[in-house]
Amino acid sequence: MSVESQVQPTAEAAPKRLSPAMQSITRVAKYTIVKLVMLFITVVIGVYLTILIANMGGYVDNIMRGEIRQAVADRLNRDPLYRSMQPDARQAYLLSQVTDEEKRLGLDKPFAVRSIGYLAGALQLDLGRALNMSSDSGSRSVRLIILERLAPTLLLMGFSNMFLFFGSIFLALTLSRNYGSFWDKFTVALSPTSSAPPWFYGIFFILIFAAIFRVMPFGGMIDAPPPTNQWDYAMSVLKHLILPSSAIIISSFFISIYNWRTFFLIYSSEDYVEMAKAKGLSNRDVESRYILRPTLPTIITNFGLLVITLWTGAIITETVFSWPGLGRTAFRAIGLFDTPVIVGLTIIYAYLLAMTVFLLDFIYAVVDPRVKIGE
Amino acid sequence: MYRNRLMALLGLLVIASMVLAACAPTPDVTEEPVDTSTPVDTATTEPTAPDPTAEPEVPATTRHGGWLDQVTMTVVTADAAVTQIAAGAIDVYASNLSTPQDIEAADAAGLERSFQFGIYYELTFNPSGEFEGNTFPATGKLNPFASAKVREAMNWLVDRNYINQEVYGGNAVPKFFSFVSGFPEYARYVETIRGLESRYQYDVDRANAQITAEMEAMGATLVDGKWNFGGEPVDVIFLIRTDSDGTRVPIGDYVSNQLESIGFTVTRQYGTSSELSALWVAGNIDDGLWHIYTGAWGVGGITRNDAGDFQFFYSPNSAYAFTTLWQGYTLEEGDLALYDDLANSAFTTLEQRDEMVAQALESTFKYNYRVWLEDGRAFSPWQPNVSVAFDLAAGVDINPLWPHTLRFDDAEGGSLNWGTPDLFVDPANPVGGSNWTYDNQWQLATNDRGVMLNPHTGIGLPQRIERAEVTIAGELPVGKTYDWVDLSFAETIDVPADAWIDWNVETETFITVGEAYPDGLTAVVKSVSYYPENLYDVQWHDGSNLDVADFVMGMIMTFAPGMEGSPIYDESIAGSVEAFKAGFKGFRIVSESPLVVEFYTDAWQSDAELNVTTLWPAYGYGDAAWHVIAVSNYAEANGLLAYTADKAEASEVEWTNYIGGPSLEILKTSLDAVAAEGTIPFSATLGMYITPEEAAARYANLDAFYAQYGHFWVGTGPYILSQVFLVEKQAVLVNNPNYIDLSDKWAGFSAPKIATAEVDGAAIVTVGAEATFDVFVTFEGEAYPADEIASVKYIVYNAAGEIVEVGAAAPVADGQYSVTLSADTTTALGAGSNKLEIAVVAIPVSVPAFTTFEFVTE
Repeated sequence: MSVESQVQPTAEAAPKRLSPAMQSITRVAKYTIVKLVMLFITVVIGVYLTILIANMGGYVDNIMRGEIRQAVADRLNRDPLYRSMQPDARQAYLLSQVTDEEKRLGLDKPFAVRSIGYLAGALQLDLGRALNMSSDSGSRSVRLIILERLAPTLLLMGFSNMFLFFGSIFLALTLSRNYGSFWDKFTVALSPTSSAPPWFYGIFFILIFAAIFRVMPFGGMIDAPPPTNQWDYAMSVLKHLILPSSAIIISSFFISIYNWRTFFLIYSSEDYVEMAKAKGLSNRDVESRYILRPTLPTIITNFGLLVITLWTGAIITETVFSWPGLGRTAFRAIGLFDTPVIVGLTIIYAYLLAMTVFLLDFIYAVVDPRVKIGE
Repeated sequence: MYRNRLMALLGLLVIASMVLAACAPTPDVTEEPVDTSTPVDTATTEPTAPDPTAEPEVPATTRHGGWLDQVTMTVVTADAAVTQIAAGAIDVYASNLSTPQDIEAADAAGLERSFQFGIYYELTFNPSGEFEGNTFPATGKLNPFASAKVREAMNWLVDRNYINQEVYGGNAVPKFFSFVSGFPEYARYVETIRGLESRYQYDVDRANAQITAEMEAMGATLVDGKWNFGGEPVDVIFLIRTDSDGTRVPIGDYVSNQLESIGFTVTRQYGTSSELSALWVAGNIDDGLWHIYTGAWGVGGITRNDAGDFQFFYSPNSAYAFTTLWQGYTLEEGDLALYDDLANSAFTTLEQRDEMVAQALESTFKYNYRVWLEDGRAFSPWQPNVSVAFDLAAGVDINPLWPHTLRFDDAEGGSLNWGTPDLFVDPANPVGGSNWTYDNQWQLATNDRGVMLNPHTGIGLPQRIERAEVTIAGELPVGKTYDWVDLSFAETIDVPADAWIDWNVETETFITVGEAYPDGLTAVVKSVSYYPENLYDVQWHDGSNLDVADFVMGMIMTFAPGMEGSPIYDESIAGSVEAFKAGFKGFRIVSESPLVVEFYTDAWQSDAELNVTTLWPAYGYGDAAWHVIAVSNYAEANGLLAYTADKAEASEVEWTNYIGGPSLEILKTSLDAVAAEGTIPFSATLGMYITPEEAAARYANLDAFYAQYGHFWVGTGPYILSQVFLVEKQAVLVNNPNYIDLSDKWAGFSAPKIATAEVDGAAIVTVGAEATFDVFVTFEGEAYPADEIASVKYIVYNAAGEIVEVGAAAPVADGQYSVTLSADTTTALGAGSNKLEIAVVAIPVSVPAFTTFEFVTE
């Protein structure tokens, strides 16, 4: 029998073991840094791709040069003074005007240089100045161009989508608990109506409620002439909100209920739910504790993504209803090749999306104890 | 628990959304490129016409300013315009509509509507390779349109009547020249035009024969019904515009089909203006990236002199000469000189001009760098109980008379809703602000002018001035239409030594002609504008009375922003100042009360009325009082704001906006500063006209105006800009009760007096016998007064469509004329089916009336 000597670890020689709390903090910190770096790289790539696509890899420069020449020639040709000049002087004057305009738009620098400038400015949220667009108040500041349209956008998109989201979940929960009922079948039957986009319903709503019955406005945000006091103004805005928001809601309402109802249905038939029911818990308790709770990460994810999509507006619906939203701003910016505005909208969306994705991981951990960050 | 957390989270998000929303600027105050230039015009031999403002057709009124109490401008998309008017949501849609469906809907709803010429359509050809082997230098591929004969044959290949009916529902007018068929030039040269039109009527067989001959001459061969060159199909790249009014897509498709039917392979490249201009404007034609482009051109007002069209559309000396396309136009020496002379008005008599234009019209068919297709006609609809004057080119929205004539029928006052496709596109300031038609329309209501253009003829009429004198040096074909102008001729016109001709930025004083030209200076035109005694009773919207300083400030601002060394120097304006100086020969204030101003220039126009320069304080983009300009000049000089987009971009400051945005706070600060300092701008000059007390009173008025309306847009027009909702896109204009004129001043312009012509006569005429036809000219069923008819021409065509005789119908009575064909003429016609065409040119409108009568000779 041999006696094995046991070496007692000394305080100095023993590897340092971190406390569980510290281990968690280290793990979370490491995860956070890696995640942030990855998200930042994704944002950089996404935004630069947007710049490249919006500029067709630099070909937009040619388009803009053509537009500048045509616009300057047309403008000058309407000027009797210009028409009375001799051809050589006229050409020199025209070319000087073209050069000024090209310089103003930065076309005197290569696209590659400008694209890096756009990217650097965007990443620092220095949105800069638009090339051709003005904000509603007449400013070339991209920040103002976006901010001035933010309130109407959030009003329309926020109201519609929040109503849609929570209304759908509420009704879906009820239907999932009443599978096969008349209302369940009714909802399922109507779910194909969501194949039509909001603007499609919008046109019909305008036709029915504005053109025929004349009880609703055709579009816009306020009555003409505008109300003189703030209460009437607010009521007018609400009235103008009804048709566009109804179009957005109706176009997705039934399919959204159907989706959530099917989703909840899976959880509604779990054994622990049946057990809870057998224990005599109220429907409300069953729904909130046994169905909603395990589905919370999914609901939160959907909600998080929904909140950032509010930012994008709804291009065609806004156009149909003449609603001054960011969707139309983005559409116009694309049409005018106004890169700073396109980049401004994109970078904000990209940062919001990255933040949401980042935060969701933490939120999952908060709402679901099974989830560990960084593992 | 979790529900509570969830609700808390949701609550936070909603609050965050609300906070973000609240970050947006409050709708505090306020809120396709337009031709606001004066149409150039040409000689007229028309008899002097009565002043159309003299006899208003409606009962007298005691109301001042606009007829309406309030006009609310709101944004409405074009496709919803008719529906919204029919539903009563808006009363007027001021912008252009043009589709047959819109016309049908408007008529079905019983709406009133204007009609105006505006856009005209053509095919632009790439002539690269002409005289150089007919191939593209970059590719070596055949370019069929390098051949003038192929281009000429395109006139026969396209059926303009088909396009009119199928694309425009019969609402357009087929065209063969750039001259717009509703404008004076068309009527003036109608016999030449008609002759050429009959030569190029649709004839696909003739087109095919000529193209086949040319293609074979160029070395192409027809293989299996397709043209080949160098072993490859001849591929025609057709650039087809998809934007604008959308009509160029069916036009492009139709022409493509026609080309394919005679053996061409066509690549239809659809695109927007931006996408295609990169090819046809900015691209190099020798690269062979396109062959044909669906072109279109617009006019912003009735043009009375289109002689410059030949240079513009066909010459390498065109305003578009910077493009390789125009550089590729090769003209014969004589034609090049002819087009230049017409553009530069290098003629001394009307007869000489007529000959030159007729020659130029004929010559364009030697080149056919473009084939003209249609004169588009647009309309603006309004409620049946509304009336408004419209311009035969500009329509309603940018017709300066709309604020003076828009009203509910037989009612004064009321609130009217005005629809427009957009509003507040760019910042508004009078020196370098928004030039969009959408912004121009509300500005027109707040502005006034010295001379108003007749919306039906384009000739000037006195608005703020009382009368004018025009003197022309030498023998130039200048005539007059109205009595408010005295026209005279002089051998030479010497500019007085004390007239002001330039601006000294250092001393801030005008340079006199005597100082600048010690040996004297002459001018081609001298105009003297006489303002009425009550001119200074005119009030700006802030309550300040108009003053001679407002006029002088206007002239200072013509120079100062474009001159280096000026505190408000703007490089982007410098070029236009130099252009102005090129023809400008000085101005002089002869009398301050009543105000009489002389203006000297070398730029002349053939209508005396359009040679009058009134010096009314209208800047390029709106009227302004001196004290308002002083405020924005202060901001400009201190680098806080910039009048133009270019300078704003270069200086990285806000583009001056009188009606909203960050500019307002800066302008208010500037107002406080100039008021505190008692600033008299350009004091070395304006100090002669402004006392410190007057300056203080004006600044106080402006401050009170800003407090009341929340903006700085101060005009003298019949409406005041009352409220502006920038994000919501609405502008509210209210009546200006202090406007000096009664509302009915321009009431006579409600409807253009376009004549209707009818012909009556024998359907069968014996060859060799004299034949007489009666011509009846009416307006709304009543005989057209003879003194309002400039000419009634007749054109006789034989069975082959050739012109046999052109003449003037003999007047019989008001609205009745007679055409007699002599025995020689009927003999020349021979046996067959002939046509008599009548062209009536009336003085009150530019649009000629045409009618035809077919008769048989046997």
